[in-house]
Amino acid sequence: MTRQNDFPFSELFSAYAAGTLDAGLALLVETQGALRAGIKDAVAQSEAVSGSFLEMTEPVAMRAGALESAMAQIDALEASATAQDAGLAAEGGETDLLPESLRHAIATSGGHARWTRAAPGIRRFPLDVGSQMEVELYRIQPDAAIPRHTHGGQEFTLILAGGYTDETGSFGPGDLAVKGPEDTHQPVGDSGEICFALIVRDGAIRLTGAMGVVQRMLGRR
Amino acid sequence: MARIAAEQSREAFAELFAFFAPRLKAYMMRLGAAEPEAEELAQDVMMTVWRKAAMYDRKQASVSTWIFRVARNRRIDVQRRTSKPPLEPDEPMLRPAEAEQPDSAVSRMQMEEQVRAQLATLPEEQLALLQAAFYDGLSHSEIARSYGLPLGTVKSRIRLALARLRGGLDDPE
Repeated sequence: MTRQNDFPFSELFSAYAAGTLDAGLALLVETQGALRAGIKDAVAQSEAVSGSFLEMTEPVAMRAGALESAMAQIDALEASATAQDAGLAAEGGETDLLPESLRHAIATSGGHARWTRAAPGIRRFPLDVGSQMEVELYRIQPDAAIPRHTHGGQEFTLILAGGYTDETGSFGPGDLAVKGPEDTHQPVGDSGEICFALIVRDGAIRLTGAMGVVQRMLGRR
Repeated sequence: MARIAAEQSREAFAELFAFFAPRLKAYMMRLGAAEPEAEELAQDVMMTVWRKAAMYDRKQASVSTWIFRVARNRRIDVQRRTSKPPLEPDEPMLRPAEAEQPDSAVSRMQMEEQVRAQLATLPEEQLALLQAAFYDGLSHSEIARSYGLPLGTVKSRIRLALARLRGGLDDPE
């Protein structure tokens, strides 16, 4: 069955190319593309298909004077040129090496002040990307364990740096893991390197075990 | 595009405008914008093209693909649809890292040329489904519903079409 011309494609790529993919999942696709050449190629090909359709589209005439109006806007732009290339403040050192898509999401989500402690050795940072899902960046210290938990819906975890291991295996940079409501797991950061992971989930995580009792008592979520 | 970036050539911009603005307007109307809004969005996109021309890299994408991306991002700002497609059984995003391959001999430009050439040879039924997925952004199940086709047929036709675009699949199953 495996053909020579077998190549990666999934509905995620066409939805991404067309611009209809949920923003959290789109961040996942972009970020994995930065880490995996095969994914980047698949995205580029999907966008080429979309771009071709734009080219083939039956045009609808612009109104009279449209070009002149564009030129006038260009004049205005050039007059008010200069300024406003402040750029997004680079901060945080450790995250400088993460893919651009993520550094952008960090910068537009309030910067590094929003890191909060989730558990010993685990910090998390909610990313505002306009997703209907929960999008977070996790920082896991070597050997730190995320409390055992299950999920309300699907949870996608893309490893950006370092790695972690849970009952189902070890995950390294570029690896994507998907967990559903039926899965309970306790990821532990691999020794030696800080692990960064992008997590996109539908529905909250539910702690099981002792921490779960505490969570329910506190009435979180 | 290079001339717009390097010399702020308005002449080059006018050429680009003449070709793309009416297509961008058509794209926006296809997505449901009323005519005045579509006109404005097409203008917006062309202004972004002017401002960002320096970021265009011809080794990475053709001009139309790049302009499409700008338009798509504008679309995302304007009407956020949030599709969460189910993962494919052999979801490529879940595959382990492939052995590091040397950069493929085929450049992005060649890939795009091939996509365009092959697209022209696709049977109408495949082309229509690709357009629904990649241009209109419909999910496979939405496409199945609107074309009255079984979901499996939609998926296999799209896969077949994409394999053709990749080129060299002489004898589709």
